[in-house]
Parts: sequence; structure tokens; C-alpha cells
Amino acid sequence: MTIPDAGQYATAAGLIERSAAAYVSGVPEHPADDGFFGPASVTWKISGDLTGPVAGLRSLMMQALHPLAMAGVDQHSGWREDPVGRLAATSAYVTTISFGEQAAAERAAARVRRIHTRVTGVDEVTGRRYEAGDPALLLWVHAALVESAVVVRRLLGTPLPAQDADRYVAEMVVAAELVGVPAGMVPASMAALDAYIESVRPELRCTPAAAESMAYLLDPPGLDEEIADIWQDVRYGAVVSLPDWAREMYGYTAQPLTPARREEIRQVLGVLDAVFIGEPGVLEARQRVTALMRAAERRA
Amino acid sequence: MKRLLTGTVVAVGATGVAAAVLLRRRARRAGPGGNLPQHRNLRLSRGLATIQLVARGGARYASSAPRLFAAAGEHRQQLRNDLALQTAEDVASTLGTMKGVLMKLGQMASYIDNGLSPSVRRTLSRLQDSVPPMTPELAASVIEEELGAPPEQVFASWDPEPIAAASIGQVHRAITRDGRAVAVKVQYPGIAETIAADLGNVALLRRMLKVTAPSQDVDALLDELRERVLEELDYRREADNQRLFADYYDGHPTIVVPAIVGELSTRRVITSELADGARFADLADWPQSERDLAAETIYRFVFRSLYELHAFNGDPHPGNYLFHGGGRVTFLDFGLVRHFTDTELEPLKQMARYLCVEHDPEMFRRNLEKAGFLLADAPLSTDQIVEHMALFYDTVRESRPLTMTGDYSSAVVRRFFDVRSPVTTYAQIPRSYVILQRINLGLFGLLGELTATANWRAIAEEIWPFVLGPPTTPMGEAELSWRARHPAPGTHDRVG
Repeated sequence: MTIPDAGQYATAAGLIERSAAAYVSGVPEHPADDGFFGPASVTWKISGDLTGPVAGLRSLMMQALHPLAMAGVDQHSGWREDPVGRLAATSAYVTTISFGEQAAAERAAARVRRIHTRVTGVDEVTGRRYEAGDPALLLWVHAALVESAVVVRRLLGTPLPAQDADRYVAEMVVAAELVGVPAGMVPASMAALDAYIESVRPELRCTPAAAESMAYLLDPPGLDEEIADIWQDVRYGAVVSLPDWAREMYGYTAQPLTPARREEIRQVLGVLDAVFIGEPGVLEARQRVTALMRAAERRA
Repeated sequence: MKRLLTGTVVAVGATGVAAAVLLRRRARRAGPGGNLPQHRNLRLSRGLATIQLVARGGARYASSAPRLFAAAGEHRQQLRNDLALQTAEDVASTLGTMKGVLMKLGQMASYIDNGLSPSVRRTLSRLQDSVPPMTPELAASVIEEELGAPPEQVFASWDPEPIAAASIGQVHRAITRDGRAVAVKVQYPGIAETIAADLGNVALLRRMLKVTAPSQDVDALLDELRERVLEELDYRREADNQRLFADYYDGHPTIVVPAIVGELSTRRVITSELADGARFADLADWPQSERDLAAETIYRFVFRSLYELHAFNGDPHPGNYLFHGGGRVTFLDFGLVRHFTDTELEPLKQMARYLCVEHDPEMFRRNLEKAGFLLADAPLSTDQIVEHMALFYDTVRESRPLTMTGDYSSAVVRRFFDVRSPVTTYAQIPRSYVILQRINLGLFGLLGELTATANWRAIAEEIWPFVLGPPTTPMGEAELSWRARHPAPGTHDRVG
């Protein structure tokens, strides 16, 4: 495995600026419609939580445990050359699906489906063939993202009532459909989601590619010590929120989350959020979202 | 990765902030004869990045909302309401998890570290305006909790639209039942608890402060920040302070401090007389003679308060003044007042006295050491020390008309943070005087922006307790009869 020159990718400068740009690009200024979720959805409500970075990292850690999903990313995405760009692209996609007009979301999804047709190969560990367009793989990626959003929000964010979690899982079915999973396959409640994840567990394992990419993400080489400082808390939040079995697959350990530690992490995430808000367009985008949500509340 | 250790931090702006905000590296303090701090320049550039970060956030907040409002046309008011803080949870998510503390830190940092351009300083001062207002309902609920009834019942008339943002609240106009026009500052619900909790994370604050104010004693600064901010959360203390200043300056020819309406002031509500006047920015169009008079009033206010009231209002923020012409200035916002004991004040007086009046450098040095500004037995000649420190007294060393300029205030700031000077190694700011740096870094900047001319030395002599010279300006003359009624109180009952 070759790790490119540390100076090329490990700067948090790129991470924050490009994530912010990705977010801003995904929230339309004068939308023709409310997109696939809309301002009354739980999806919109959850999306603004400051635990977003932790949920994002945790969902990558979950997704990477599927050997075929990981092999596809590992062999095709070129994340080593531009890890920040890869993360920003994912984040732009998720934002567009969540907040974009229906046409924009469909265009973004079609693009991803097109790319997926070229992502095929053989996983070196299991010897199994994979196709990125395989609904089974797409479903795992989807489920890991949705479950992480709920788990992390519950652990570190503001409280999320059970019925809201269920509504969120149900709302997100359409996101799986957009990328090519038949709706009938997609869990539509927390219970179904948990059962699905449980059913996939026998297939999961920490392949060398997963170990390498997650080791990179958790401790990016060449990261400046100040950024490493923030990243420690983001990473701890992601690791501590994993199911025990997933943490054990990676061989990671995490001190239990005490109320004091939880508050500390929230405070660090608040600082990170303040920095994010300082990036061009982020505040305006959030205000657009808030204004639409408030208008929806008024109508209700 | 060394990129972040250079000016790049500044260039990348907000990103650098993320790095800078959470710097963990320990600032090394030099003791006598050893251990020169090695990373001073480094830390300075990081501190700057932190401030610019905070400033950038503020600029976006402040400038983006109006842009959105402008685009909204007729729906503008609706949009304003939609973005308003509706509940205590909204307050917590907007100002909690360190954001409110960051704003206070930014406010403080603007006076304690260098390199702030006027535009960054302006931006920082707008940071506190960056939070959306409360909805009329939320503000009314605070009034009801604090004063026992909804605002329409407590007041004869109540304007539900806030007229100004305060750092942790907002200001409404009202008319009391006995007919007085008042300004009512209403604190965001839950903010005191939120900020107090965030101030409890000393480790994170220490990390942020180390980069925000690299040339400072971080622990002293941290104590000072926590104490000042915690005080600010209880409006009763602010009301007490404002009352102290209002009583003292009662009848003053040019200094106006709005009176507190005690029965309508509580922990989360302050009611004071309504004041109106021109804003600092308006002074740009005023004749220089008017600007000079305004500056003279501010100067007299700061030093009379310090030497006679033993109190310093630590917020020389352009937004805290209203100007009425003829030198009359209304002073607002007493949320950040530091009281000094005789023991704390004495060396300050002696320093000015021995440097500027007695011309006794050795005694000047001894008092610097006594106050803790200079480590004892520093291997430096007294000439070196005087050469370094005298700049801070430049405006009062000679009796002659002198124009305050941006150049002078910048030179003061540069000298203050002059990392090349051997004196800096042995200089420090003891905790009790941290807030006074705002004289050097805030007041002089303000007077510099006014390009104000006066014989500052002559005015200082009127005020210096060790001189108490005769009036030297028409304003000084006008103060005579007021002073007869308000002798320097010397020791008085301290507030709090």
C-alpha cells in the first residue's frame, strides 16, 4: 500500500472548506419544490445536528466492514489520492438528496448509478465478485448511514423520540430507491433496520482494505497536531458509538462514555460547528433550511 | 506538517481557526535568567488566525441575514420571525456548546491580542449581533418569569420588536407605568446555565486561549475570562455597576450614564432610562472639533472612573457610546466592570508618577515590579525597560497638544506584543490588570479612529491623584462645580 505525500491530503483546511462547499452546493437557493423529504420531515431536522461529523465517520466505519462494499471503494474510488475530495463528494451527494429539488436529487442519483456500473471486480479476501450496483451492497451502505445518524444523534446529540427515529428510517427509504434498491428490500422502521443489520453481520469482517482506510481516517498521517486534537474527539465519538461487535472487528477500544465526556465532545463539536458556520454560504444555506422548516410548522 | 505553523494559517482563514482554536501546545513562560519562549512568533500567528476565524463567523452571520431579508421582499418580516429564537432549545443550539463562549472570547480577544485590523475589529464587535433575536413571545416569557406578569401588564407600553442585540440578550423599548421611557434588556432564557456549563470545560478553554492570546499568562487570563463572563450572566451585578457610575457622574457636564430602574431589574432583566444619540460610526461625518470633544469626554470618563471610582468599565466598544454633540456622551453597558482595591491601584499611580512627573526611572521600575508587570531581578538595564515601556505613556509624557492616530495605537499594540524585545521576556500582565489592557488596546484605538487632538497630559494632570491640577480645558472648567459635589470617593463600598 502506498500512502501519498502527506502534504497532499491530510489538511483539515481542505476538509472543512470542501465539506462546507459541498453542503452549500446541495441546498438550493430558490428551489422549485421541496425535494424528496421536505421541510416537515425528520430528515431535515436531523441533518442540522452538530453531531454530523461523528455520524459521518461512524457510518463510514460501518460501511467499510462489508468486504465487497469496501473492495469497491478500495479498488475504484482513488480515495488515497484525494481522500478529502472523496469525502466531500459523498457529503455533497447526501446533501443534494436531502435538500435538493427532486430533479437535482434524481440527476445526482443517476450519476452515481452510472458510476456504479463501472465499479465491478473481485474482492481479494473473499474471492467473491462484486458489482457496486448490486442492491444488496447498496442497501448495506444505506442502512449503515441511516442507523449511524440515529445512534450518534441519540448518544451525543439532542434527544430523538422513538417515533421520530422510525419516521426518519421510513423517510429514508426513498434515498435507497434513488440509488437503485427496490423499496421492498429497504427497512422502514428502527426494528426492521436493527434486524437487517443483525442479518448482515455474518458477512461482515475487517479486511486489510477496511483496516487500512479506517486507520487512515481515524488518524490521518501528517495531520497537524491541533487538528488531530479535534479529530481525537470526533474519532472517539465514532468509535464509542459503534456496536461492540463492530468495534471488536476493528480491534479498537474506547473508554465508556461518561456524561462529562459526552459534554466535552459536544463542546468540541460546537467549536467545529462554529468554524463550519464561518465558511462562505453555510449560514445562508442553514437559514434557508430553517426558514422553510418554520414556514412548514406554521402551516401545520 | 509545518504549513500550519506559518502565515498560511492566516491565509486559509477559517480552516486555520479550527487548528488554532484547539491548540494544545503549552505556552512556555520564561523565568528570570532562563528558558526563553521559543515559539512566540508562531503562537502569535495562530492567535491571529483564531481571531480571524471568530471574526469571519461573525461577518457571515451579520451580513448574510440582511442579504436574505433583502431578497425576501415583502416576506421580509416573516422571514425575520422564522429565523428568530422561538424556544430555550433554540437558544441552546445557537449559543450553547461553546458558541456563546466563543463570542465572549472573541470580544475579549479583540482587546488582548494584536494584529487586528480595524475591519476585523469591527467584525468582532458585530459578532454579538450575529445571533437572531428572540421571538416577541419568547422575550415576553422571560419578562413574565422575572417580573411576574406579561410585559403589556408590567409596562404602560411595550415594543415587542427589539431595538438592539446585546451579547446574551436583546433590548426592547418600553414606557413605565409612571411614564418613563426605558430600555429593557432581556436575557436569553437558559443562556446563563449553558454558558456556565461551557465555562466549566477549563481544558478546552485553556486550549483556545493559548492560541487566542499567546503572549499572555493563560491561566490568569482564563480565570479572568471565566470570572468576568460569569458575572455578566447575572444582570443584577451589571445593574449595581451602572448605578455606581450613574450616581457618581450624576450632574456631570458631558458624561451621561442612564439611571437604573431598580424595581424592574432582576437577574435576567435590566431596565434603565432610554438614551438616544448618534452612533460612533456617525462621528466620521462630524467636524473634528466635535470629535475632539467626544474623545476628551471618553478619556476623562475612563481615567476618572479608574482613579476616583476605582472602577474600570472594560468594554470600550464603539457600540457602547451614544454621542449628543458638545462633547456629551452617553455610556452604555456596564456588564464588564472591574473594581480595583487601593493596593492594586497604587502601583499604577506610582508608575505614572515616577515616569511622567518625577522622572525617576528606578522608582518606575520598582513599581512595575511591585505590581507584577516585570519580573524582579530581570537582567535588564533600567534604561532598556524605560525605553520599552515609555511608549505606553507617550500621550502623557509631555504637556503639549497631541493627535491620537491609528499609527500610535498600532505602535502601542505592536510594542505590547513585541516578541523581539528582551523586555517582553520578563514582562507579564498580572491577572488583576488583564482588563486594563483595554486602555492600551481598545481606548487608544478608539481615540485614534477619531484622530482626536488634545493636551492629554494636561487633562491627565487634572485627574491624576498625585497632581490634581487645575482645569485646563473648557470641559475641565465645566467639571468644577460637578466635582465640588462629587469628591473622589477614595475607598468606597465595593459592589459585589
